[in-house]
Amino acid sequence: MTWTGQARSIVAFLLLTFAASVVPVVTHDLYKVDVATTILQDLILAMSLRVVMNLGLLNLAHTSLMGIGAYVSAALAMRLGMSFWLTLPIAAGAAALMALALGMLTLRLHGPYFFLLTFAVMSMIQLFFHSYLEEIFGGATGLIGVPRPNPLGFGSFTLPLVSKVSLYYLILAFWIAAAAVLIRLEYSRLGLQCAAVKQSEAVARSVGIHTIRCKLLVLSLSGFLAGVAGVFFAHSRGVINSSDFGIDPMLKLLVYVVVGGVSNFWGPVVGTIGFSVLSEYLRSFHFLETLMYGAVLIAVMRLFPEGITGACERIFAAARPGSVPSHVTAGA
Amino acid sequence: MFEATLAFQALINGASVALVYILVALGLTLIFSIMGIINFAHGEFYMLGGFAAYYLAQVAGMNYIAMLAVTFLAVCAFGFCLERLLFEPLRAQPLSGFIASLGLLLVLQAGVSILFGVTDKRVDSPFPGILHGYGLVISRERLFVMMASAVLIALLYCFLRWSKQGLALRAAAQEWEAAAVLGINVNRISGLAFGMGCALAAAAGALLAPVFYVTPTMGAQPLVKAFIIVIIGGMGSLPGAVAGGAFLGLLESIGPMFFSPATVDLLGFGAIVVLLLVRPTGLVKS
Amino acid sequence: MHAFILIAALLCATTWTAAAANETLKIGVIGPMSGPAAQWGVEIARGAEMKAEEINAAGGLKIGNATYDIRTIPYDHKANAAEATTVANRLVFQDKVSYIVGNSIGATTTAAQTITEPNKVLFLFVSWGKQSLGPQYPYSFRETFSDVEVVEPFYRWLKEQKKINTVALLDVNDQSGKTTGASMVEAAKALELKILADEYFDRALTDFYPLFNRILAMKPDYVDLGSVPPGTAGLLLKQLHEMGYAGTKGWVSGAILEGAIKIAGPEAADGLLAPWSANLEGANTPPAVKEIVAKYQKKYGEPAGNYVVDNYVALDIVTQAMKAAGTTDTEKVVGHLAGKKFDSAWGPVVVGGKGTYGVDHQFLRPITITQYQNGKMVDVGSAMPRDLMAK
Repeated sequence: MTWTGQARSIVAFLLLTFAASVVPVVTHDLYKVDVATTILQDLILAMSLRVVMNLGLLNLAHTSLMGIGAYVSAALAMRLGMSFWLTLPIAAGAAALMALALGMLTLRLHGPYFFLLTFAVMSMIQLFFHSYLEEIFGGATGLIGVPRPNPLGFGSFTLPLVSKVSLYYLILAFWIAAAAVLIRLEYSRLGLQCAAVKQSEAVARSVGIHTIRCKLLVLSLSGFLAGVAGVFFAHSRGVINSSDFGIDPMLKLLVYVVVGGVSNFWGPVVGTIGFSVLSEYLRSFHFLETLMYGAVLIAVMRLFPEGITGACERIFAAARPGSVPSHVTAGA
Repeated sequence: MFEATLAFQALINGASVALVYILVALGLTLIFSIMGIINFAHGEFYMLGGFAAYYLAQVAGMNYIAMLAVTFLAVCAFGFCLERLLFEPLRAQPLSGFIASLGLLLVLQAGVSILFGVTDKRVDSPFPGILHGYGLVISRERLFVMMASAVLIALLYCFLRWSKQGLALRAAAQEWEAAAVLGINVNRISGLAFGMGCALAAAAGALLAPVFYVTPTMGAQPLVKAFIIVIIGGMGSLPGAVAGGAFLGLLESIGPMFFSPATVDLLGFGAIVVLLLVRPTGLVKS
Repeated sequence: MHAFILIAALLCATTWTAAAANETLKIGVIGPMSGPAAQWGVEIARGAEMKAEEINAAGGLKIGNATYDIRTIPYDHKANAAEATTVANRLVFQDKVSYIVGNSIGATTTAAQTITEPNKVLFLFVSWGKQSLGPQYPYSFRETFSDVEVVEPFYRWLKEQKKINTVALLDVNDQSGKTTGASMVEAAKALELKILADEYFDRALTDFYPLFNRILAMKPDYVDLGSVPPGTAGLLLKQLHEMGYAGTKGWVSGAILEGAIKIAGPEAADGLLAPWSANLEGANTPPAVKEIVAKYQKKYGEPAGNYVVDNYVALDIVTQAMKAAGTTDTEKVVGHLAGKKFDSAWGPVVVGGKGTYGVDHQFLRPITITQYQNGKMVDVGSAMPRDLMAK
């Protein structure tokens, strides 16, 4: 029996979910729980970025979308006293809207110009939060004292969301939802259309695929997910600053996605977990930390230009002569 | 009269630094035109040039012009090797090439920090003193930097226009495969292009070292500026880099006369957005 | 047989010495140790390390019945708030420290406080910003002057001694810069000085000609460099000089003066006033401070800046408080820090500041105003922080 790509993905997803669920049980080190929380948050960001990049669009404003989610939710909560469960959809929606706006701009641009545009937009958004509307967004100081998510209540039972462990399970829930949506997308008709757009936009259009609608839908979805991650970021840490959403975190995400492998659904997962663990290991080298990180990047890219999952695919394909590579069978 | 003086002073200010940023942008766009990759580590070669100026000229006392020549050649060779070893194999995956250049940036910056320390270093200018005239001021060192940059840009132009290697470079930029068919050693040319691009950045760093100071992170800002210049002028267009540099230099020197620095930055990026929407290929058609 | 006895003896010897060995007291240090502000972070880390080594060499820190060897654990937060949260988390939950001595850059302090305060970690920092201290932060202390302590007394001195009427204020467009700028504006207004310019620029800016083009045309009596880092200060001085500015210039936060002076050149730096930075080589410099500076130069081959001495003294004072409390329990040590007076290399230091912050968590001592004259730093005046005048 050959497993379809979708079945394989679902199995991998279930395994990961199970493994992630038991992390706080297995380790009592709260620092490791904290690291795992950040990993899950970054996974949402990396996976949503990858889905856009797989369309051939390098969106450098992805962390800005996260920032919009964070700032809007924090501002609504702090200035208007709104509940987290209300600010979450509003802020993520705002991020999705901005992504949509970015997408509409791409109607005019092809190729390398989209990424230049998003670079400029990212810089502008960062500048905006840093220097304008200080009474709302905190200016250079940022926002301090963003409240924790309001407790979840079901009838007489309430679950407070203050401790590290509770926040971990919250982001895990978000990740499960995000991953489920993305898997569904990958193997749906829309996902197939996106794969076609990536191969050749001209050909896709000639067979009647609405390339523009594809791009807009995917961009909006990725913006929404980035916004969700941003909202969690703001309310779990309590302080946000415009520098949290600039080029540095964006580059980190790019590393996760590209090194993991853009074509494969699990590329960003491999990249995020791999590099997060590596970063923790390197931290004990203090002054040599950055040097070694850079060396690893060079080495991995030189050895696996298509990313780690890309290299794995190639190896497995070669090991089974006559088999069809997975990205062709996707959705079959 | 008063306003005119301010305006002229602003123009002089703009010119002195813009010319150097044009050098950096020329390097960046040269690399892009031949190889199609964005070298994120480009600013680090600027930084290496600054450190070369410190150790060769300031510490070892080498003649300044000689130091510039040595730095140019040494960084060119270094860039050539890097291209052959690291970037050429990644040419099919530009994104991976970009990540590799990011790794290179980290290695160079951290390496220099560890080897040479993080304290800001001063380089004495070979041309100290200030010139006054008509109510305007310019330091001799900035004047030298302007002239040296102009000379370098002119030399680059001559090289590309008339030398055999230069012709080969332009052929490769136009049509890669055709150039190979014509017998041009495209591998060597791409190495040369990368090397020269890095060397231009290093020369810029060495020139500006006495004007500002030398520190491992000094390459970050020139990279952003070069990037902006190249976007405005058109990626891969050399005359575009000059035009873009002029525009940015003007914006940065006249802008602060009317707006706060934050607004100037915002306007700069806004201009890029508008330009990309209206004329993505840049101000100058390449 | 002989080998066996020898090995047994060695084992006994090591276990005996192990039993007599000191416990370890881990002290965390965080700061920007790479990037543009790296000098600050490196000095902070080294200052703590030097004091720790001294204590250990003298046999360890004796508190109550136990003796401790101090081990400093430095982490680089790269001037990044998110990274600061991560390294604070690591120090508190993995390395299990109860003390963090040393941090600079306001945004990172705020980020780290979200971890240190709920976990009762005593956190001392040099970063500026009024919002970092207060009753809502019972475990946070500032170990050196901030803008609040220095600006107002200094501007008063300026008005009286230098007859200043108009000022141009500059600073970096980040959290520290904005808070310092606010202090400068507040003090200038209170003293009825006319503010001709109040400008903030990107931290990475190196060419200030355009800015000065506009500002100098207004002919200010006094230009303040705010809280810019030393490299930037050097460039500001150099370019001010090139553009022909001949008025008074000051640098409220001036730390690592030699760095700025080196880059500006002696001519451009001449006349610079620095109220925050204590003169480390002057006639009035306490001998203990000169000793620290000499040791630092010998060990690291570079001249020491104020942050070295500040963090050295901070660790010294914290250990003194631990001894007074008879325990390393931070809840008790805090009680022996706030409002108390200590002897240190700087001389007497009072932990006060209640009038400004609502709690006595600010290290206070007299302010010396120094000026760079003819190649040397000279003491030209002194002032008292407002909260110290009451005592």
